[in-house]
Amino acid sequence: MEYLKFTPNLANDWKNALSTSEPYVFKRVMDSMNESQLESKLWLVQELVKLDIKPKRVAILAGWFAQYIVPLLYDNFESIEWIKNFEIDQDVKEISYKFNKRYKDSNKYQCSIKDIMMKSLEEDFDIIINCACEHMYPMTKFYEWNPELQDPLYVLQSTDDDQYDDHINCVKDEFHLAEQANIVDIKYKGSKKLPNGMTRFMVIGK
Amino acid sequence: MNTILCIKWGDKYDRTYVEQLKNQCENNCSVPFNFYCLTDKPTQPYDVLLPTYWDKYYLEDRDFFWAYRKCYMFALNEDPQILPRIKGDKFLFLDLDVIIHQDLKYFFELPMDKPYIVRGWWNDTITVKSNFAKHKSTPINSSVIRWDRGQLETIVKKINKNAEVIFFTYPSVDNYFNHHWYNCWNEEGGFFKGFPKGDIYSWYKGNIFPEDMEKRKIREDHKICLFNNSAENNDVEELKSLWNI
Repeated sequence: MEYLKFTPNLANDWKNALSTSEPYVFKRVMDSMNESQLESKLWLVQELVKLDIKPKRVAILAGWFAQYIVPLLYDNFESIEWIKNFEIDQDVKEISYKFNKRYKDSNKYQCSIKDIMMKSLEEDFDIIINCACEHMYPMTKFYEWNPELQDPLYVLQSTDDDQYDDHINCVKDEFHLAEQANIVDIKYKGSKKLPNGMTRFMVIGK
Repeated sequence: MNTILCIKWGDKYDRTYVEQLKNQCENNCSVPFNFYCLTDKPTQPYDVLLPTYWDKYYLEDRDFFWAYRKCYMFALNEDPQILPRIKGDKFLFLDLDVIIHQDLKYFFELPMDKPYIVRGWWNDTITVKSNFAKHKSTPINSSVIRWDRGQLETIVKKINKNAEVIFFTYPSVDNYFNHHWYNCWNEEGGFFKGFPKGDIYSWYKGNIFPEDMEKRKIREDHKICLFNNSAENNDVEELKSLWNI
């Protein structure tokens, strides 16, 4: 997976999102759009494509503005019907909707403000994507909150880069990530050095 | 009945701080009140032993400033071991490192449709919102809290239910409150209400952003001055010197 499809609809949504963001949010939006962010999402989608899965309902945990992951998923998996992004930052919601307006308007994308380590998702999903495991409590707590989920596939990313205060749950490597998240049926695991110097680990499995 | 609570834990503040706070309350409160100190080492008639059941969740290696023991006092109807001793219906909590300038009666006469906590008006709201997900720049401060009996029990229940996650995730009790019991995007819509501008200011951080941010300035037209979260090595001595003003 080498690129994101820069379609006219995407261009229009992104122009609107970028031109109407409050100045104080703009820096964060820029941080969310660097090449490392895109690389890590391309990597994720590439490995999912290789696994030849047919996801329908996708939950993204702490997906931030989700401007890369949502179009990448819809462009590469015809089976997807619904993507929901669970965030804690209320500024994220409005901007995320602008970036993904074409999906929101067609009832294919929603952003919900919810702390997923303290509340249940209250919906079923067949894929759970968490590219921010370093920012939160280990996934075992998420399982406790969501026992009703029907054996979803988990796609988890984390890092060993503990220089940031909000990286409260770094792991040593992809093995550590799988162990911590209790992923026993591992479909994929690997690591990737990103352009920003950060090494990210990814585990896909159940 | 009005009740003033404080907490003394560990060695940073010795007994003189409790006595000093009690004296300040007696000299600055024109309505009757009970006074209790919740502490790990009770020695005085007004002392109440704090429970310890959350200690097992505190992660020392994370170096978080988790003043979680403060939250035990919210369990006034819940903990059969200690809290029935605490009488009263209207509660005012004060950190030990405060200077009281004006009559505390004001706090007991507030309309209590919601509990109150310090809204640090010295914080830049933009910074607060920008750093929300990073667990930094918390706009509220638990150095002064006002509630009626039973009003904060829901917080204790939530902590009991989510203790592992809460202690792991949030670097301070104030940050936890900001994420789950306040709403920095809609300040009228949160569980807590902030004390109004002009009530409480910070010795080390100022008063109101951006117009009145002078630090280390006494403002006697305000009700309370805070010293907490100073990150200053000499804050104890500085506070002691101000007690004598």
